[in-house]
Amino acid sequence: MSETTFMGVERNLIDWKPTIDYSKCNYCMDCVEFCPHKVFEVRDNDEIRLIVKNPHNCVVFCRACSKTCGPDALSFPDKNATTQRIKEIRKEMESHG
Amino acid sequence: MAEKYVILPCNGLDKCAGLVTRELALKLHERWDSEIICPVFYRVSEAKYNKLAAERPLLVIDGCPTRCASKLAVEKNLKVARRIIVADEAKKHRIGLNDGLRITDLERRFIDDLFEELNKIEETVRPASENEAVSYNFDYETIQNRKFIFRIPKNGEVFFNENDCWAWVNGNRARIGVTDYVQQNLSDILYFYPPEVGDEIDQFGESGSIESSKAVFELVSPFSGKVVAINDKLATNPELINENPYELGWIAELELTDPEGDKELLIGFERYIEITQKKVEDADVK
Repeated sequence: MSETTFMGVERNLIDWKPTIDYSKCNYCMDCVEFCPHKVFEVRDNDEIRLIVKNPHNCVVFCRACSKTCGPDALSFPDKNATTQRIKEIRKEMESHG
Repeated sequence: MAEKYVILPCNGLDKCAGLVTRELALKLHERWDSEIICPVFYRVSEAKYNKLAAERPLLVIDGCPTRCASKLAVEKNLKVARRIIVADEAKKHRIGLNDGLRITDLERRFIDDLFEELNKIEETVRPASENEAVSYNFDYETIQNRKFIFRIPKNGEVFFNENDCWAWVNGNRARIGVTDYVQQNLSDILYFYPPEVGDEIDQFGESGSIESSKAVFELVSPFSGKVVAINDKLATNPELINENPYELGWIAELELTDPEGDKELLIGFERYIEITQKKVEDADVK
């Protein structure tokens, strides 16, 4: 089970998840095997056999799956932009008491 | 003069990065008189290469992040002295390797550059890290889960982020590293990739990575700052992180850019122990 907040911010307000480049992915499924948070889902009977099923389970700032991806098919949002967005949300939360 | 390595390239034939490992290994063989391990033959016959690897330091060259050669080294229980991942080096050099199965002039120049860099590294004698004899005086709280014990320092000047990295602030500097939770989950840490001294790192930016046979962990820097020292001992003894990730296993030292601003997004011991307790209960740490 994943944390529901990150740095005091609701996890579902933070855009942090892997994006699969299907032109590179070779469906080795190493990412599925690696990720303990069940972010990915295998769909054996579909043409696209791998999807990002649970994006909010992804640990914010973790890019470990992409580090093990042989064909370099996984990418993540910019860390600085994500940090700035988290700061903005925290300020909004403070101003709303 | 460069050491006479024994070289284990992945020798992958289905990607350009794999072909680069082969060419780089051949160049090192010709210029450094290094021996080469054929990964295919090693699978079927161990004796020759086990003997070689025991006699000389081992340089592993992987093409892509699948890290087949590294995994083979782990499987054969070899101690790795140095490792290169060609795909990562290509990114650092801002080079896009071609999609074909032949190397071109671009890759040849890249191989020459990698060779020159390896030469420089071998010729450089690194100065000892500053502040080596630091006294931490950490006082630890422990969480136990079955046979695993997670220690967490509870000193006021130690800060954490929710990515299981710590920072010990001392004046305008901070030492950073990973917590017990990370090292317990990774199990035996085999490789250490430090940031470079002089690197400017943003808060939550990558400040090195560590790797076990189970996973790669990217260190998420708690503070922004400039890298002024790295823990050189980890290059040859990454297991120090398993032994004590807070003291012997520190990763890097930063000169801080905005400590007060960065602290707003960090947590102290009390909150981190709550988060760790929950992770330990949720995760199936085996």
